[in-house]
Amino acid sequence: MIAAEKKPFEQIKAVTDQFEKVLVVGCNTCVAVCLTGGEKEAELLTAQLRLQREKDSIKGSVETVTVLRQCENEYVDAIAAQIDGSDLVLSMACSIGPQLIAERFPKVRVAPAMNTNMLAVVKKHHVWSEYCVACGDCGIFNTGGICPIARCAKQLLNGPCGGSQGGHCEISAEVPCVWQLIYDKLATFGLEGNLGRIGGPKNWSKSNSGGPRTMKKEGFEP
Amino acid sequence: MERELADSITRSSARPVPGDARLSPPCEVACPIHTDARRYVQKVAEGYYDLALSIIRETNPLPQSIGRICAHPCEEACRRGGVDEPIAICNLKRVASDGAKAAGIVGFEPPAVEYSTGKKVAIIGSGPSGLAAAYDLALLGVKSVIFEKQPEAGGFLRTGILSYRLPKNILDEDIDYIRGMGVEIRTGAGVGEDIKFEELVSEYDAVLIAVGLSESRSLPIPGVDLPEVLLAVPFLEDVNAGRDVPQLGKDIIVIGGGNVAIDVARSAKRLSGGRVTMVCLEADHEMPAHDWEIADAREEGIAMVCSQGPNAIVGDGRVEGLEVKKCESVFDEHGRFAPSFCETELSIIPGDTVIITIGQMSNLSFLTEAGPEVNERGILIFDRELCTTSRRGVFASGEVVTGPGAAVNALASGKKAAIAVARYLGVEAHSSHEPVAIGEVPEDVRAQIKQAPRRIMPVRDTGQRITDFGEVETGLGEIDGRCEASRCLLCGSGARYSQLKCISCLTCVRVCPYGAPWADGDGLGGIDQDKCQACGICFTQCPAKAIDLAVLSEADIISGIRAALAVDSRDVEFGCWYSQSRVAPGAGFVALPCTSRISVGLLVGALDAGAEKVYVAVCSEDDDGRFIHGHRQTRAAVAEARAALEEAGIDPERIELSLVPEKKCMKEA
Repeated sequence: MIAAEKKPFEQIKAVTDQFEKVLVVGCNTCVAVCLTGGEKEAELLTAQLRLQREKDSIKGSVETVTVLRQCENEYVDAIAAQIDGSDLVLSMACSIGPQLIAERFPKVRVAPAMNTNMLAVVKKHHVWSEYCVACGDCGIFNTGGICPIARCAKQLLNGPCGGSQGGHCEISAEVPCVWQLIYDKLATFGLEGNLGRIGGPKNWSKSNSGGPRTMKKEGFEP
Repeated sequence: MERELADSITRSSARPVPGDARLSPPCEVACPIHTDARRYVQKVAEGYYDLALSIIRETNPLPQSIGRICAHPCEEACRRGGVDEPIAICNLKRVASDGAKAAGIVGFEPPAVEYSTGKKVAIIGSGPSGLAAAYDLALLGVKSVIFEKQPEAGGFLRTGILSYRLPKNILDEDIDYIRGMGVEIRTGAGVGEDIKFEELVSEYDAVLIAVGLSESRSLPIPGVDLPEVLLAVPFLEDVNAGRDVPQLGKDIIVIGGGNVAIDVARSAKRLSGGRVTMVCLEADHEMPAHDWEIADAREEGIAMVCSQGPNAIVGDGRVEGLEVKKCESVFDEHGRFAPSFCETELSIIPGDTVIITIGQMSNLSFLTEAGPEVNERGILIFDRELCTTSRRGVFASGEVVTGPGAAVNALASGKKAAIAVARYLGVEAHSSHEPVAIGEVPEDVRAQIKQAPRRIMPVRDTGQRITDFGEVETGLGEIDGRCEASRCLLCGSGARYSQLKCISCLTCVRVCPYGAPWADGDGLGGIDQDKCQACGICFTQCPAKAIDLAVLSEADIISGIRAALAVDSRDVEFGCWYSQSRVAPGAGFVALPCTSRISVGLLVGALDAGAEKVYVAVCSEDDDGRFIHGHRQTRAAVAEARAALEEAGIDPERIELSLVPEKKCMKEA
């Protein structure tokens, strides 16, 4: 899922302190799955803000509402009444959410409560790791189903660097060297020799470095 | 700044519906009157005896009496029985009524009844089924007049059951409550003698025959006419009325192996101070009396001779003994009563008195030619579903039509008849649907439930108690009662989830210690109510707030927080029923089966609602509390809540975790 972490409270409050009627909007899809921005967390942040504002004598109110997703017009429009009644919408979705809200509700100020950081796998309960950077041209079939762009600190496409030690990346003992993983994986199929093949250059224009992307589909239009 | 916790949090979409009871606990299902045992046991655990009593009264018109003598089929069905021992549900009924009485609070004031229907019913017999019918009819606005031939009301509860099991004043209190509802009970008014049956039929809008089985069966054996041969029912009537029984000697033989025979034997023991021997057809393991009654009788020194049939009562002008023949089997291959004997294996059991307790039959001599009719065996022709006899407007209930059974079955029969009578009178009445039970506790879950011994009902010393008719059982008392009630698994009261809100994130699947939530490739499939122990961990962890607990839901806990703050204190303590001790006695108390169901949201929310300080009681790591894993959630929630406070610039000490100071239930029983 898209994983996002809550911004430090100090940063959030530096924004919310400026507004009287704050609406904390939770999102019950990706950020709920990574346990940081769903309804439960939205209620907690709301309670924290209320307690802080009472202590700091900040006038106004903090309310909360959660929708299933904040990346779709209909879900965001569903809380129009609450948004229209607010001075600041503090979104707990990934950055897409506050952006869509800002677009749909041009007159209200919007702030993100989260730092969106990665596309992640759930390694185990409470641990999420980056597995994809949305490069737009997935070549993991050739690397044993493992992505060297997302999981290599240097995004190397041709094999490990000299910093690969004992199977882990030089940046940390907790980060495996992805090229070690790729090599070992291909070797289980006897295909490590394939790594010697020359492939063409990667089409980076399909990634975000080629400019902001839009995907379209043909088919029945309502 | 006060804040209404629930009101100010806007709900965006459907909350799960707690109390969505598709599956009921087996105790409720097994109970003939479907009493909500789980709910009253929970209230006893919390110490709310008056609430427990009012829950009992929702279905039970004789709470104190039944709490003494019930056959408690609920306990046989109790799922805790598969873990260690069933909950003492019957004894806890008494804890509720004793507790409510001790506190002098409501539960003993009958409601004022409006007899708005203008209809009236004549009920013949003031035993449990007649009383139950009158009670339920009253609640439906239909007045009853009960005609009881005995000088006092209660039927067999008074004339057949002894004070050492059911004190007369207790029975009086239950009956007085029913009288207090406007039910008229006319004693010394035998139908057939003092008043004619046809008069009742013409003067009342309906008649209910609830006369029970008031006549003893006898045996067609030689010697049955000897003076020291007694029949069970008249004997018990005499004992219960305080009359002397001059024929009672010192060496009494009781023929019979059922519950009534047990009562006859124990009474004979008390009156005579002599030797009492029960003789029955059945083998030891198949004696029809309840196991616990057999044990009580044996405790009191009553001997039991099994597998012997009465052949003749021997003696020259007076009883000198009972000649018995070996009984080889009691039931045929179809389970019907068809004893077979070895006529040549005879022996004599010496004795100077014989009391025949082999069964009872009804006295329907008051019936006239106009009906209702009886069949060739003299039993009322009766429709089990409609409770009707062959005569329009005449109904029947209780042992007169069901045959012998427990008092609670008679209550069920009377309640069923009340609905039938009400409908006949054009009064709207519905029977509730039959509940369906959840399944057994699965094996792997059983191993994760903490064993706790069942509290034993204290009884008077045997040597002392057999010298009088004073009550043998003295009551569990508050501490043992609440501890016993805390053993209840709260079956079916656990996690419910909203399919609308659920995002199938699998958090609940991962965190549940019992494996109750299950998922497949399509997402969360369900939360298995057989496995769920209602620890609350999944509720605290669900990121989408799709889960709530069916009993003591989040809304209930929020109400509890508000109520705790309304007490003259700015502090709140989250604690548990089980320990019965307080971490912060001055704080408003929110009682829970375990603090494992307290989420970060509830902790910080309590402060947001206006609490100055929140105390949380937790069990030690060694003790691990009610749910084994629960205390770890409590600790994690407190740590997370404190970190959230600190982050927001609020003093984290406003949430304090403390070890439970003393666990009263952990003391040796």
